[in-house]
Amino acid sequence: MAAVMAWPALAAEGPVVFVRDIQPILKQSCIECHDAKKHKASLRLDNQKDAFRGGETGKSILPGHSKDSLLMKRIRGEGEDDRMPVKKPPLTEEQTALVARWIDQGATWPETADGKIAAVEIHWSYVKPTRPALPKVKHADWVRNGIDAFIAEQLEKEGLDPSPEASRETLIRRVSLDLIGLPPTLAEVDAFLADSSANAYEKLVDRLLASPHYGERWARPWLDLARYADSNGFEKDAVRSMWPFRDWVINALNQNMGFDEFTIKQIAGDLLPNATLQDRIATGFHRNTMINEEGGVDQEEYRYYTVVDRVNTTATVWLGSTMACSQCHNHKYDPFTMKDYYRLSAFFNSTNEKLTKGADPHDAGSKLTVVESPEAKRLEAELAKLKETLKAELAGPTSKPAKDQIAAIQKQLDAARQFNSTLVMVEMHKPRETHLHVRGGFLTLGETVTPNVPAFLPKLPTTRPGDASLSRLDLAKWLVSVENPLTARVTVNRFWESYFGRGIVETSEDFGMQGSRPTHPELLDWLAVEFMERHWDMKAMQKLIVMSATYRQDSRTSPALVEKDPSNKLLARGPRFRLEAEMLRDQALKASGLLSQKMDGPSVYPPQPDGIWNTPYSGERWVESSGDDRYRRGIYTFLKRSSPYPMFTTFDATSRESICTRRTRTDTPLQALTTLNDPAFIQPAAALARAVVRGGGSSLNDKAAFAFRRVLVRAPEAGEVDRLILLYQRELEHYQKDAKAAAAMANGGLGNPPADLAAPELAAWTVVSNVLMNLDETLTKG
Amino acid sequence: MRHQDEMLKALTRRQLFKRCTTGMGTIALASLLNEDLFAATPGGAMDALSPRQPHFPGKAKRIIYMHMAGAPSQLDLFDHKPKLVEFNGKDVPAELIKNERFAFIKGTPKCLASPHTFARHGKSGAEISSLLPHLATVVDDVCFIKSMHTDHFNHAPAQLFVHTGSQLQGRPSMGSWMTYGLGSANKDLPGFVVLTSGGVQPDGGPALWGNGFLPSVYQGTQFRSQGDPVLFVSNPNGVSPQVRRESLDAIGDLNRLHLAKAQDPEIATRIAQYELAYRMQTTVPELMDIATEPKAIHEMYGTEPGKTSFANNCLLARRLVERGVRFIQLYHWGWDSHGTNPNDDLVTGLPKRCKETDQPATALLKDLKDRGLLDETLVIWGGEFGRTPMNEARGGSKFLGRDHHPHCFTVWMAGGGIKGGMSHGSTDELGYRVAEDGVHVHDLQATILHCMGLDHTKLTYRFQGRDFRLTDVFGKVVEKILI
Repeated sequence: MAAVMAWPALAAEGPVVFVRDIQPILKQSCIECHDAKKHKASLRLDNQKDAFRGGETGKSILPGHSKDSLLMKRIRGEGEDDRMPVKKPPLTEEQTALVARWIDQGATWPETADGKIAAVEIHWSYVKPTRPALPKVKHADWVRNGIDAFIAEQLEKEGLDPSPEASRETLIRRVSLDLIGLPPTLAEVDAFLADSSANAYEKLVDRLLASPHYGERWARPWLDLARYADSNGFEKDAVRSMWPFRDWVINALNQNMGFDEFTIKQIAGDLLPNATLQDRIATGFHRNTMINEEGGVDQEEYRYYTVVDRVNTTATVWLGSTMACSQCHNHKYDPFTMKDYYRLSAFFNSTNEKLTKGADPHDAGSKLTVVESPEAKRLEAELAKLKETLKAELAGPTSKPAKDQIAAIQKQLDAARQFNSTLVMVEMHKPRETHLHVRGGFLTLGETVTPNVPAFLPKLPTTRPGDASLSRLDLAKWLVSVENPLTARVTVNRFWESYFGRGIVETSEDFGMQGSRPTHPELLDWLAVEFMERHWDMKAMQKLIVMSATYRQDSRTSPALVEKDPSNKLLARGPRFRLEAEMLRDQALKASGLLSQKMDGPSVYPPQPDGIWNTPYSGERWVESSGDDRYRRGIYTFLKRSSPYPMFTTFDATSRESICTRRTRTDTPLQALTTLNDPAFIQPAAALARAVVRGGGSSLNDKAAFAFRRVLVRAPEAGEVDRLILLYQRELEHYQKDAKAAAAMANGGLGNPPADLAAPELAAWTVVSNVLMNLDETLTKG
Repeated sequence: MRHQDEMLKALTRRQLFKRCTTGMGTIALASLLNEDLFAATPGGAMDALSPRQPHFPGKAKRIIYMHMAGAPSQLDLFDHKPKLVEFNGKDVPAELIKNERFAFIKGTPKCLASPHTFARHGKSGAEISSLLPHLATVVDDVCFIKSMHTDHFNHAPAQLFVHTGSQLQGRPSMGSWMTYGLGSANKDLPGFVVLTSGGVQPDGGPALWGNGFLPSVYQGTQFRSQGDPVLFVSNPNGVSPQVRRESLDAIGDLNRLHLAKAQDPEIATRIAQYELAYRMQTTVPELMDIATEPKAIHEMYGTEPGKTSFANNCLLARRLVERGVRFIQLYHWGWDSHGTNPNDDLVTGLPKRCKETDQPATALLKDLKDRGLLDETLVIWGGEFGRTPMNEARGGSKFLGRDHHPHCFTVWMAGGGIKGGMSHGSTDELGYRVAEDGVHVHDLQATILHCMGLDHTKLTYRFQGRDFRLTDVFGKVVEKILI
């Protein structure tokens, strides 16, 4: 299993990488005398420019010619001058060869490496952010809040102007999708358009932030981080009951729980004094790890993988760090050591859980908590009542129908109870001993370690006699301590990513030396400080972002801007990118009026093609939900890790085996086939057609405009309406001639339409609705 | 009506040309601006699949990988062990199973000779079990690697290990690496296609053809034999091809109007992807319609149009190869010969699996050769691990069966740069461990990539701070089996 990294440079050939191979040598042996302070012999080796300029005796590095480079002569001690370094031991043979090879290969020294050389501690993300002053900008009248000052400053440097504000119709669609994941209703649009008050937009934002749909929308990215799923993973991939954790996340977001409390409860809610049932459910965060139930599996081995996953996930979510590298060796770029890794693992190494065969997620004994299920409660009451009513019959000779009736309810009750438990963290009374694992191997135990946080980061604020008593609760509090340089930056960066399609740090999973540089470093720090000073108030941060002029810009671009800034890093225009998987389906359901408002509870099974769930040694089948449950929001769709809901997968959702920090965004023909043909999109199209025929107005123009606005929010232009009517008339003609096709299309998977609606009209409007739901503008947040 | 129709069409076109000069410009721009070929942006999606040069000229242009899920018994098919006859029914030597973990075997198991006979075939004299009479006729085109070994002894992790290089879910599969490295030679079909048979999906599930951390354009597309071959490739009930064409024309026109305003090149990409989807609606059903094949071909493969079978999938594999699909992955489930009942034992169960697969797999080799495609097509056949030389006898079962065994198994390869008529590596006389020329799963992967002209140490993708590759940090090309 030992997943070690390849270091080609250590072999005799292979490219030498400056940051990895050379910089540490310079740091160890040269910098002390050849930095900005001392620059002995006028030579500096702490930055690229000066190093290549050379010193008193000339150029020190001649790319491609190690033999003639002064640097090599000094290192080797050739000639009359002293061998370098004078005050330190000479370079080893291996180091000497490495430097020579680096020069011969062209002495590539990326300027971006500068500044990291003196000490890794100064890598920007490891220094606590301080509030930068707001820059003075020419576009002062454009600036609405601090965000805009930083954005304008960069734009001005690049000679760009911000875009004008988007239209109100565009804005209400954009901000509704961003804050609650759903488009607005026509009534909401009209109200906003009619509101002439100065703070109309702010009122809209406040209304959206107070909506219960806010929690549903923002739980989605969090559940990707939490690798939430409704099955155990691996071959057996049995169903598990984790939905109480999902509901906890939605509720916490809706209540606007501070991100500090949100963190503490999920990492260590069970260890809080007087932990409530909800606090314990929150710890499901780290019970979302997979469980392997195959034959012959070594329980301890898979427990180890689980702990490893918890360390990696924690480091990625809160620290934006690729600590996974130090499972096998000290991190090659960032100052994480193997010891740091296993010390962190010690926090997670003493939970009591069975992770292999026989792990019964419905066993309420050792590690599960029972959740009140309203459905079970209702059925219990119903059963009691029924027993009471049928008392006489049950005693009589013809008791079978009564017994059957009771058995039917009992069956429903059992089913409801199947999902009334959930997995939580339970700490053992006596902690396990934690070891370092040599090269990351499960069996290769090294020295014992005690729980602690990475040594180069701020110390744990709690001091206790003896390391051993440090707990997950200490870790949780440390993660959200204001001294922690990473958590606030990493978290606001993910918020930013949701709105603008890319983070200020594009690699939102890696804030280390190998991560991308922030496009707006000061803005990131400003937001991070703002977040902490506002007591980790998440809704306040969302509001800050959507109230900015930056966010409100029109998203139109131009060939010149596309050429200058193809991926809109500078934000000279508003965000424009494809909606995420769940949002696409939710939008279609909402626009058509099918969307169920129901929240919470066990996951549901919307229509999906046969044969998706078909795994060996498993009798589990996808049984389609009935009624409204077919049209719940995507966040409630059952997620089986080995066979996730296909429409979501096609649109880049993951199977949640492990953490996903940012989904890729692709554009494939399979996506087109899905939105054109999947019943998940045909049913909404048919439903919208019925709404158009019933209430879309009297003229074709009105009807087309009504359908258009329901899907795209904005009013159509004349050319657009004309094109839709042209299509409608063609299809009407076609369906009038083909009654069978008309009936099928008018049905659209919803069941036969009311008798007073004519099938050909419905069928033709269904085609129009399907077209509307497939427009680029519909699939995109613009 | 017709007049209005024409007028409106002219109108939208005129608007398009008048207002879309920039728009049209950006269509070309979409590819020029593609900073990073592999960028997971919509702009990058199409070019991400355009054909690319390998690291060095490879003998193979494409791959058909037949994975026999459940792990076929090498000892009853390829790796003849006369010594097991001598030891049949006797306790396995204690030193062999010291500290061993088995999936099901408990206590000290007894050795088990194969209930089937072996004979030598072809010029190369390859030893093949009587269960594979068809394969016996083409052994001179085949290379048998008898010294395969792996690190995992449960189906899902071992299958993931073979196809993604890691036993944990979440890494890109071999086919994804291949299309990432080489692109696809067919613009109207996915570059990486998966077909399954045997009643259920393989144990590892869709993660076996997942793209892991690579952009999702590289994920395998499963062609299903029941219902839509590609999910949602058929028009919904009530939508005729004409209605679809007219819908797409409307979508295209409205998208172009929007492109003229928003000027975002990604709109142009989306327009193109919708047209590709439309073409797939024709090409995929055409491809899947094997009824058009001549009778002789059906007899050769043993195919029956409309059925779900390994035979049908073999024939489809050839049709995919002809259309330039880069990586075709077949899975056939049912080789898990534990001997707990007649359907999973060595005497009646295993022959059934052989009967389902021997003829079509052989027919595929012959057919490819007849068409001059075998030289450029690498064909691989094998499971995820081997089976024990001991009888499993779970719960005292009287049916003969073998437990999971990671220490040795057989994989065969043919075509695409592999020497035919040879056997590579060997196992000890009881068939417990590799005796010489061991080939680890990572070595097999390195060799497969090599045949395609890809250096397994150079085909990397940076994820979470690390350059990942199919072979992790391991893997050596098995030079001895290369032409």
